[in-house]
Amino acid sequence: MSVYITGTGAALPSRVVTNAELAPLLKVAPEWIEANSGIRERRWAQATESTSGLAAAAVREALGDAGIGASDLDYLIGCTLSPDYQVPGIAPLVQRRLEGCPMIPAIDLRAGCAAILYALQLGCALIQSRAAHRIACFGAEAQSKGLDLRPASAELSMLFGDGAGALILSDRPAAIGEARETVLSVEDVLIETDGSFAEDLIVRAPGTANGARWIDAAQLQAGLHHGAMQGRNVILQAVRKMSAAATRLIERNQLSMDDIAVVIPHQANLNLLRAFGHRLSITDEKIVVNLDRYGNTSSASAFLALSQAVREGRLPRDAYALVVTFGAGFTWGAALCHVTNARGAGLG
Amino acid sequence: MLTTGVMSFLEDAARQARTTLPDRDSSLFLSGVLDSFSLVDFVTLLETECGIQISDDQLRPENFDTLAKIETFVGRARGAQ
Repeated sequence: MSVYITGTGAALPSRVVTNAELAPLLKVAPEWIEANSGIRERRWAQATESTSGLAAAAVREALGDAGIGASDLDYLIGCTLSPDYQVPGIAPLVQRRLEGCPMIPAIDLRAGCAAILYALQLGCALIQSRAAHRIACFGAEAQSKGLDLRPASAELSMLFGDGAGALILSDRPAAIGEARETVLSVEDVLIETDGSFAEDLIVRAPGTANGARWIDAAQLQAGLHHGAMQGRNVILQAVRKMSAAATRLIERNQLSMDDIAVVIPHQANLNLLRAFGHRLSITDEKIVVNLDRYGNTSSASAFLALSQAVREGRLPRDAYALVVTFGAGFTWGAALCHVTNARGAGLG
Repeated sequence: MLTTGVMSFLEDAARQARTTLPDRDSSLFLSGVLDSFSLVDFVTLLETECGIQISDDQLRPENFDTLAKIETFVGRARGAQ
């Protein structure tokens, strides 16, 4: 049974933070940020903006793109590393914000930057088991609110931006994109995890592995509530594992890299994306990039890139799109989507 | 001894970083010769130039921090094959 992506959406805070604004805080040069990440600017949420607000805006846009309303949904899958609250999760808050949304299941997935793959895999399984028919999936972050803006954290804090992306999964095909000429189906998802790297990319607090209290003054003083990253290890593992997963997924679907028209990666770092492309002989033109404008938006990143690819008409008919991600855990993988002609499907 | 190809890569990286190769026991990272991104290309080159397979478990930056550590790593990897 096929599962279709029938709408995509995006939402970004209006505040633009350029390297020129951020660099003095981190005691680095603006040029250093761009050279080491490919990022020129990112968006940061205002004090009055929360992750669920961004998420709801992205889901609304995706619903509009799919030509349905929130009342048509029967499942909500939300992904974030920067929720409004520790409890409850973000998905119920988004359900509350969506006008007319029924009292449907609303679940959080904490899969970090690999979030879109888990959302696609779970969503497809729910639809194929007929537990759901139309699912809204989103990735959303307001992680600027948790950044350590001291020079010692420059390598990590220069990367992150805020935003949200969303998609609608359906058991029925619908034409997507500005021209409404293509149908996008999810063909296969491959996800892997190696928990031996769990501490290489981490936010330790609040957490029950930190002693008697899950957050206290000593933990705050030590900065355990900020992200920490073993950058060299992350990039070494990310390039290799993303490449291997993409290759395995393509081979098990009896395809070759030449069949992939567009690659929609997690927007981690431009240098990482180039290394990934170089390893698989993928030309730059095939790789969707938005981190130069939005930075690394973690859970939202690949959702935003997919929405951008749809809006920009970068999904040619009768071709394949590859979504590739890597995130904390480490967990990583790839999803294969097929782009078909809407007229061929009787929808044009 | 590391191959000419490996040494050429490191010398090129040092030139691009506007520095020189440090002595055998000094850090290639701290000296600016290797960074997170050139390390990816360096490890790939090491595999092809030295005819070794580097497993994910071995793919730790500390194994490639100095010329001496790289030589030791390559020697062990060749011996294990």
